[in-house]
Amino acid sequence: MASKILKATTNITGLAVCKDPHYALKLLYGKILRDLKNIPETSAYRKYTEDIINSRLEHVENEPNIARLERKINCGQIEEVIVQAENELMCARRMALNHVWGPLASQAPPNQWKWPIV
Amino acid sequence: MASSFIRHVARPILATSKGFVSAAAHRNIPSSLVFLYRTQATTTPQSTPNVPAPSLIRVDVEQRKALVDFGQYVAECLPRFVQHVQMTSTNELEILVHPDGIFSVIAFLKDHTNAQFSSLADITAIDVPTRTYRFELAYNLLSLRYNSRVRVKTYTDELTPIASICDLFDGANWMEREVWDMYGIYFTNHPDLRRILTDYGFEGHPMRKDFPLPGYTEVRYDEEQKRVVIEPLELTQDYRKFELSTPWETFPKFRNRPLDDSKKPPEPTASEVSQKPSGTGSENKK
Repeated sequence: MASKILKATTNITGLAVCKDPHYALKLLYGKILRDLKNIPETSAYRKYTEDIINSRLEHVENEPNIARLERKINCGQIEEVIVQAENELMCARRMALNHVWGPLASQAPPNQWKWPIV
Repeated sequence: MASSFIRHVARPILATSKGFVSAAAHRNIPSSLVFLYRTQATTTPQSTPNVPAPSLIRVDVEQRKALVDFGQYVAECLPRFVQHVQMTSTNELEILVHPDGIFSVIAFLKDHTNAQFSSLADITAIDVPTRTYRFELAYNLLSLRYNSRVRVKTYTDELTPIASICDLFDGANWMEREVWDMYGIYFTNHPDLRRILTDYGFEGHPMRKDFPLPGYTEVRYDEEQKRVVIEPLELTQDYRKFELSTPWETFPKFRNRPLDDSKKPPEPTASEVSQKPSGTGSENKK
């Protein structure tokens, strides 16, 4: 199991080395994709997030070596990628809750953003 | 990490323009753009040719393009709340959002994989009493992952509360307290909203435009009572309505006058003033 050689530390305070990042990532990405189903398919947020998650999931499924996987995803160490997935999960739930895909809530009053104000 | 990996995200042509892209953004970006380029901060940026003189602001073309792209991306992802996206003259991205959506927009910017603005630099406000919503709030965010900054702006007035973002950023606690103290903008769901900078028993919000410069009270040490006493100000200042239009010659773009000025009759010219037969200084000299 050459792919399972673990590093001693991530060199980031409070971020422990993950023993099985593939398992954790697949679990999180599955959750994200499931939660994104609550958002309409026309939503740009859902589309883009699904693209990101699917491309990362593909790397996770096809690349058993952790160092090579980190290089392929290219968004920091694999533990940081797990944190990003956790954040994205939270984000997806919040976006679904707040209906961000709807039409604009209301336009700003005239001259609200005008600068300089003369 | 130095590999030139470019994360790409499929993006269709913007079908419904809700007026969110400024003219400056439009000029540089064709609407048929289909990729969002976000590279890690550790990725070596390409050096820009034609470096101007050091006294000028250097325009990093790639960085500017990346920011414009990102602004469009945010506007497309959150069409409900983003009213407008603009670049400032110094290449800073500003996202102007509806006050209801400030929490959602900042949550998106913090937690979304393509944004990761995990650091809140500052929250501040300005007061413009002539506007419908007199206060304008600005949130400055920093993404350490992508080495980019963004400013989120929204608006409110004295009575409309704004959602606190303390649940997202612990550091927002004191910043929102400061904004509350200085401007009196109320934040809902704030765990501990009280004054932070002003003195005990202070009343009013000093950064408001209608707050008089010397304040309402004065503080001194009373020898008889052996304590500091707070008394009403003796040298009170009348309320001043500030003339906000500049007295200097301005560029044609900014030359239009405020609405109330247009109703006034035209002011007398310098020659008419000198000819007026009133007891002015010029009359006495004659």
